[in-house]
Amino acid sequence: MGQDSEWQPRILCFLCRWCSYVGADLAGTSRKKYPASIRGIRVPCSGRVDPLFILKALRLGFDGVLISGCHPGDCHYQTGNYFARRRMAITKRFLEYMGIDPRRVQVSWVSASEGGKFADLVTEMTQEIRQLGPNRLFADEKQGDGTTTTP
Amino acid sequence: MTARKIAKKHIADLLNEWRQGFNVFVPSRDEGVAKWARWDGGDAEFLEWYRNTVVPPKALFFPPLEEMFSFHKDGDGYRVEQPPPAEERWLIFGIRPCDARALAVLDLNFKEGYEDLYYLKRRENGVLVGLGCTRPYESCFCTSLGIGPTDAADVDLMLTDIGAYFLVEAVTDRGEELLGKTSLVHAATGADEARAEEARKAAGARVTRKIDSQGISEKLRASFEDKGFWERVSAKCISCGICTFLCPTCYCFDISDELVKRHGARFRSWDSCAFSLYTKMPMENPRREKWRRLRQKVCHKYEFYPDSFDVIACTGCGRCIRLCPVNWDITWVLSSLPVQKQVGLET
Amino acid sequence: MALTDCLPMKSRVMEQRLRREAEALLEQGKVDWIIGFEAGSLRFTTTPLITDDKDDTKRLVVSPFANNNLSVYLTGIKGRVAIVAKGCDSRSIVSLIQDGKVARQDVVIIGVPCSGIIDLAKVEGLVGRDRDEIDDIVREGDKVSITFSGDKREYPAGEVLFDNCLACELPTPQEYDILLGEPTAARGDEEKTKSREKINSLEGVKPDERWAFWRNEFSRCIRCYACRNVCPACFCERCFVEEAEPPWVLPIPRWQDNLVFQVTRNIHVAGRCTDCGECDRACPVRIPLRSLAREMYDIVGGLFSYRAGTDKEVPPLLTCYEPTDVEDFIR
Repeated sequence: MGQDSEWQPRILCFLCRWCSYVGADLAGTSRKKYPASIRGIRVPCSGRVDPLFILKALRLGFDGVLISGCHPGDCHYQTGNYFARRRMAITKRFLEYMGIDPRRVQVSWVSASEGGKFADLVTEMTQEIRQLGPNRLFADEKQGDGTTTTP
Repeated sequence: MTARKIAKKHIADLLNEWRQGFNVFVPSRDEGVAKWARWDGGDAEFLEWYRNTVVPPKALFFPPLEEMFSFHKDGDGYRVEQPPPAEERWLIFGIRPCDARALAVLDLNFKEGYEDLYYLKRRENGVLVGLGCTRPYESCFCTSLGIGPTDAADVDLMLTDIGAYFLVEAVTDRGEELLGKTSLVHAATGADEARAEEARKAAGARVTRKIDSQGISEKLRASFEDKGFWERVSAKCISCGICTFLCPTCYCFDISDELVKRHGARFRSWDSCAFSLYTKMPMENPRREKWRRLRQKVCHKYEFYPDSFDVIACTGCGRCIRLCPVNWDITWVLSSLPVQKQVGLET
Repeated sequence: MALTDCLPMKSRVMEQRLRREAEALLEQGKVDWIIGFEAGSLRFTTTPLITDDKDDTKRLVVSPFANNNLSVYLTGIKGRVAIVAKGCDSRSIVSLIQDGKVARQDVVIIGVPCSGIIDLAKVEGLVGRDRDEIDDIVREGDKVSITFSGDKREYPAGEVLFDNCLACELPTPQEYDILLGEPTAARGDEEKTKSREKINSLEGVKPDERWAFWRNEFSRCIRCYACRNVCPACFCERCFVEEAEPPWVLPIPRWQDNLVFQVTRNIHVAGRCTDCGECDRACPVRIPLRSLAREMYDIVGGLFSYRAGTDKEVPPLLTCYEPTDVEDFIR
């Protein structure tokens, strides 16, 4: 980080504690290869993810955001992922209307046993983000990265 | 000093001349919203529609957002960079007397105790060319506060509309300097000056909104404990920041720090005493109730500031009335103050 | 300020009934507060009247300029309230009931069948005059006549009403205790389409240009929070922007932070926003906030066939789910 001047995609992943996080862990223990592009945040449930987190991630400069939870019917809290499904449907459509490429914010169902799926998903998403290029949404012409600007 | 005049059609040329030595700011429109913007040549078409801006010229001296310093990780330590106070010379063309007076009111605060160099430097380097009003808003009430819509007291150069011309008067030496090199300004006749006097009277007559500012501080002091009154008059306020942000004499600010791994910055930005969390502290919030905040706002402007500086912190520009989403009106409040005698206080 | 001169006959009848009903409600102790409109201190303006004094009810008005959504006051008031509500406002009240913020038995809804509210910004644009230099604006039926400098011009109401009024599906409150007059009908499809012009044109441009448009608009934002404070759906005691140490969004008016604030706010009120248009009207720097709110309203309607505030028995949109909810976007 920081030594290589070539841009590498950075994807922030919100992983539910009961399914997706375990699935991601399984990908690691199974020695499945996937790019070192993701940073994971474990949440109790995909339903915990406030769209605010997604906006904040994009604001901080993450090139992509992944929200991953249990398959419908398997949520540890019964209904959390159903709420996430509704909320994310609305969020994705709204962000697309704003002009944000919908491929930057993605949602998936990954169960605890789907280590392979997780690795494949991350690999694909990294490739898609690589094609999209770095997130310059909040960059300022004057200042570059947009995280600190002089008015 | 003899009065002079300039043809309105030459204003753009005059601005061009001034542009050689100053950053010139004029009224402009952005999506129909009147605001102050840098003038980059072109015409002076703003003269046709300009009454007053939404955001007052205080924003040019005390900006809504200002970086105080930034810091960057540098080896084991940090490199701190502080933007220098603005040294560039600049000129504000068309400032209204209420807004110019408001700057004079603000000066008292920014000089008292701690000298705010950011603001003061801009004031020092800023030349004000005032433009007298011809079409005051129905929300204007400057005449009740000892200011007229064509007053020249607080600017360097004053323009008064006399039809195809502006009467031009130098108020300060800096104003006189502005006129030194130009050939666009000519001597005015006695008739021009008479026309200007008529224009001043006419503009003053168009200010129909009035308050009785006599003894207002005492009336507010006497009404301070009347919780019922303040609750009633504050009920419809929604505690946004429009009145305070758009007020040319309001100056509250907040300081925020941003830290992003290896660098960060400290910012100053506008704050509002109307916000519900304005006085929130770890243990309590003394103005948690809306009526306390509104009482403070009114008293600050019409009682506390006069107590400190002998001047009311309001110049009757009327923006708070014109732009409040619920038409909360400070003149209504001031006109309906319950006057009660309190034991021990002078009235 | 000569406000009553602007009212057509039927509004005057509604007004007199409103005053009688409000006074009776207070006198009989059925409510502790009345929330309605009275004449404002500026021309063509009304202002909220919040009172517990029955003498004040004489000042209540029914007016084509009554733009405020008074339901915003319900979450901050204690006791039983009689509240004047147009179609959109009553939906906001129902939405608050759905959210559990207001108990149905604590409100007496005085419904006003609404024929649209006049947008002074549109009037100014049409006649090229500021509102305080216009002598009169009168609504008669579906026409509005505007008088200035001795010149009188007539326009179809559809050209001077707020965009959200043109799109309004339920101008007559469905939920009420007292209905002040005969129900009014929604306006036609043509006007409804016209009201969505700004949004449609945005949808038609490339994403980069859309983002550039919003970036430009939010460069004007001064973070006064009028949009949030005027919204009945924004009733959080501590808004996410008020979290500090560490902050989600700095309270400084950079366009980046302004955008994050507004986008998040719109998603937070999704399914509870009734397109009352107040956020748009309140903005002092004229950011077209309704182009965000209405888009969200239509997204919610399109995805879930849900319209905020139309059924008080139904739980809020985002607190329930269907097995058949859309999931084609999920990998």
